[in-house]
Amino acid sequence: MLVTWKYRPRNTFIQRLDPRTRFLFMFSVIFGLTIPEIWDFRIILPLFAISLTLYLLARIEWKDVRRVWIFIFIFLSLIIGLNALLSGRGGPSSVTSIPSPVLFYVPILDLFGWMVPITISKAWFALNQMLRMLTMAILAIPIPYTMDPNVYGTAFKRMGASDNVSFTMDLAFRFLPTFARDFTITVDAQRARGYEMEALKGGLVERIKRLSPLIIPVVMQSTVTGEEVIDAMDLRAFGTSKRTWIKTLTYAPRDYFMLGLGALIFITCCVLKWGFGIGDYFVPDFFTAFFVG
Amino acid sequence: MSNTPLVIENLSFQYRTRPELAIEDISFDLKQGELLLIAGSSGCGKTTLARAINGLIPRSYRGERKGRVLLHGRDVAEMKIAEISQVVGTLLQDPERQIVASNVFNEIAFGPENLGLPRAEIASRVDQVMKRLNIEYLLERETFNLSGGEKQKVALAGVLTMNPSILLLDEPLASLDPASAYEALDVFRSLADEGKTVILVEHRVEDAITINPDRLLYMEDGRTRYLGPIRELPREIDYTQVKLPAPWVVQRVKALDNAPVVSPKPEVKERGEPLVVFEDVDFRYDEEYPLILQNVNLKIYPGDLIAVLGPNGAGKSTLVKHAIGLLKPTKGRVLVEGQDTRKMSVAQIARVLGYVFQSPTHMLYAPTVHEELEFGPKNLGFKPELISKSIAESLETVNMKEFEEYPPLALSFGQQKRTTIAAVLAMRSKILVMDEPTAGQDFANYTRFMEALCGTYDGASSILSAHFAATLFITHDIDLAVTYANRVLLFGDKHIVADGAPEDVLKDADFLLKYRVRPTSLLNLNLSLLPKTGRFLPAESLAGFA
Amino acid sequence: MNDKSTWEFGTRQVVYGAIGAALYGVFSWATNIFPLPAAGNITFRPAIAVLIFFAVAYGPWVGLLAGFIGNTLGDGLTGWGFYWHWSLGNGLIGLVAGLAMAGISDFKARGDIIKAVGWGIAGIAVGMLFASLTEMWVGGIDLNTALFGYFTPAFLGNTVVTVILLPILMIAFAAVASRRGR
Repeated sequence: MLVTWKYRPRNTFIQRLDPRTRFLFMFSVIFGLTIPEIWDFRIILPLFAISLTLYLLARIEWKDVRRVWIFIFIFLSLIIGLNALLSGRGGPSSVTSIPSPVLFYVPILDLFGWMVPITISKAWFALNQMLRMLTMAILAIPIPYTMDPNVYGTAFKRMGASDNVSFTMDLAFRFLPTFARDFTITVDAQRARGYEMEALKGGLVERIKRLSPLIIPVVMQSTVTGEEVIDAMDLRAFGTSKRTWIKTLTYAPRDYFMLGLGALIFITCCVLKWGFGIGDYFVPDFFTAFFVG
Repeated sequence: MSNTPLVIENLSFQYRTRPELAIEDISFDLKQGELLLIAGSSGCGKTTLARAINGLIPRSYRGERKGRVLLHGRDVAEMKIAEISQVVGTLLQDPERQIVASNVFNEIAFGPENLGLPRAEIASRVDQVMKRLNIEYLLERETFNLSGGEKQKVALAGVLTMNPSILLLDEPLASLDPASAYEALDVFRSLADEGKTVILVEHRVEDAITINPDRLLYMEDGRTRYLGPIRELPREIDYTQVKLPAPWVVQRVKALDNAPVVSPKPEVKERGEPLVVFEDVDFRYDEEYPLILQNVNLKIYPGDLIAVLGPNGAGKSTLVKHAIGLLKPTKGRVLVEGQDTRKMSVAQIARVLGYVFQSPTHMLYAPTVHEELEFGPKNLGFKPELISKSIAESLETVNMKEFEEYPPLALSFGQQKRTTIAAVLAMRSKILVMDEPTAGQDFANYTRFMEALCGTYDGASSILSAHFAATLFITHDIDLAVTYANRVLLFGDKHIVADGAPEDVLKDADFLLKYRVRPTSLLNLNLSLLPKTGRFLPAESLAGFA
Repeated sequence: MNDKSTWEFGTRQVVYGAIGAALYGVFSWATNIFPLPAAGNITFRPAIAVLIFFAVAYGPWVGLLAGFIGNTLGDGLTGWGFYWHWSLGNGLIGLVAGLAMAGISDFKARGDIIKAVGWGIAGIAVGMLFASLTEMWVGGIDLNTALFGYFTPAFLGNTVVTVILLPILMIAFAAVASRRGR
């Protein structure tokens, strides 16, 4: 059982970007879509194309992300399906307020004992929702694969976090492999005492309780370790004055380009929505026509 | 600034949570370039003294301090921690806990970063220190993947970048194998020669005196027992508390006229059916990784008390994990009582072979010792009557009866270690396997622990021979093999390079050094007396022959 | 240990924040590898009890950092990416649970354990409600979906785990703490 952080150095455009650029760009897109509540597929689609391009530029090997993609699709389908069944309150209210022909009924009893109608509007909304969620998710997925764990702390610091918060980030990365190894040893040690993870007997409570031989030793050892680490850091003057962060980050022209693009996306979304009233949810005629003929 | 780097005057300290003084009336001073060895068993107060020197007392540890600690004339209690850190550099016992950065460069730069020094200054300090310690080749490495010796050098580098005039080294040899320990000691000596004042806290006196400390401070119960040169054996030192060279022990035993005890090692009688068999075993974790075991052949017989020697990282633990089935061979097979481990679950093998991991903290979890001991037998499906009988017997055996309702996590390290042995005893396994049974314990404690397991009293058989058909332990302490084993496996280069009686396997010093196993004074003395003794003996017993 | 100023943020909080985060990350990852049985879409993450334990033992800052960074590490180790609102939600769990610290003096006393579990559940409610409601805004789901699709399963699963494992962790910690001289 090997625990490894997913990062691997690759010579790609994405990995040459400053980590701050990547966080800021991701937030530009996420907040561009969410703050002005953009639901117009004509805006979502180009953003999806940009995100997808960046994802492909990261050149992450398919075998590394296969499981994740399967999981994300199953999960998004579940949530979107559930939403289609339950929707009526919340979300862009136009989804249900637009008069729209019913495609089919899902024969379950909802809270009021009715059949749940799936309208053309709901179906189009589900598609939009999938696209919109993916636009954000494919910006988020590559981060652990393509960002050097050694730069998180410095990146946080340079984005305005305090010395203490930024160093906590670095220290957490430092301890990750240590505790992963401790956990592996503990699993082995308990197996050598006849413990079998597969053979968890009893009810739910009993089964969760049976995890304590794996969790307790690792957690308790870590509380003892902490006391020593505190001493080690105090003895090297941690927290006594404003820290120098030896690693430096500098923006290159490509960073300015990406930051500019991010700002443009965010501002455009806001201006379109609040300035021109463009960006609300609607069902395009071609989609309705596809069903109604 | 005064020229005397360190002056300690009538220092006493009592922790707020403890009823007694931890150290009492300690006084000494150290000159520039002086190397002081502080020795004593655990609980003698040496850790408290170290904390009083580096300022953790009174800053982080509360209590009542009397007397003074002066660094270049200024009292520690009045200095800022940032100032102290540039005078006293402390290397903690376990480099794994001292290293706070993921990569080597950041680790070494950590202290100067905290002082807020300019980047260019930090970079040049890091550069200098890495050159000084010859570790430039580690610059790009992740700290987690370093070997024990490399970790310690990196931790030391991180201390040296603060430019301290005093180096305080707290049990620096504890986590190193002998070869790395001697490399580290040489570095400490040369730092003293360059003008650093070095304080070496260490119970392995035998090893520490090879670099000629200027003085020795020997402590017992928080007090100074001896302070002075080490040219000849100071009488005040108790050879059962710290590890002394074997000839000194012999000398002392003779002087005290203690009757030497000769406890017999278990004899290998008839070689019956082997309990465990390794047949041409190869192992690697994955296609992409190199072999860790190559062509290993081994048979473990009833009556064996085997010590597995070899450098850290050679694959000793990998070998043993095959016996319990935690790892399965890539090629070849391992048989436990005639059955292929590939066809057995770890739980099935655990009925035959009990494995005690190196650190008790990796396995102790239950709220009481009783429940802790119940865990194994319950997993193996023992009947309730048998479980309670097993627990009672095993507690009796390790002499822990009064702790049955105690939380194991609140016990001392030595008691925890005994609890882990009891946990295996309660499973009624036939073979006992221990990984570094003495790790984390000081000399006095581990001698007591090993004596309790292997010692025989009044003709009764030892715990090991009474309860287990065979025992195997991994160690990098050659003296354990000399003292307790009746068979030694020398592991190196992915396979077993020697297998036989200790007297045969350990006789060739050059051969041992080739596998980074360093002959000790005990081994050498035993070899020279072998014609008279006929077999290896502990240092005390040799007094009857020398 | 002794000075219980709830909002102190020094070396101690940095170290335990980082340790809590690393453990939360490792255990979250481990749950993904060996999933526990789930009822419906409730998943049980034993890691949550570890997060709440660190919050209760070391305070709200430690809880916030361990939750935020730990969730980020767990998602990263599994390879899912970085979801800021779920990380923040986990941070809130720790922050709220950490408010229990000031009121706890004996980790093996029944009353103190109940207090800790209570604050833990409050933390779970606040944190998961925050993340679920944010999901309305990010994912465009409606309130029902947020409550039944995200909040309820997360809240129930985490609460069950906390009620069972937090007391065990606290009792073990009382034993460990009794050995320490600080």
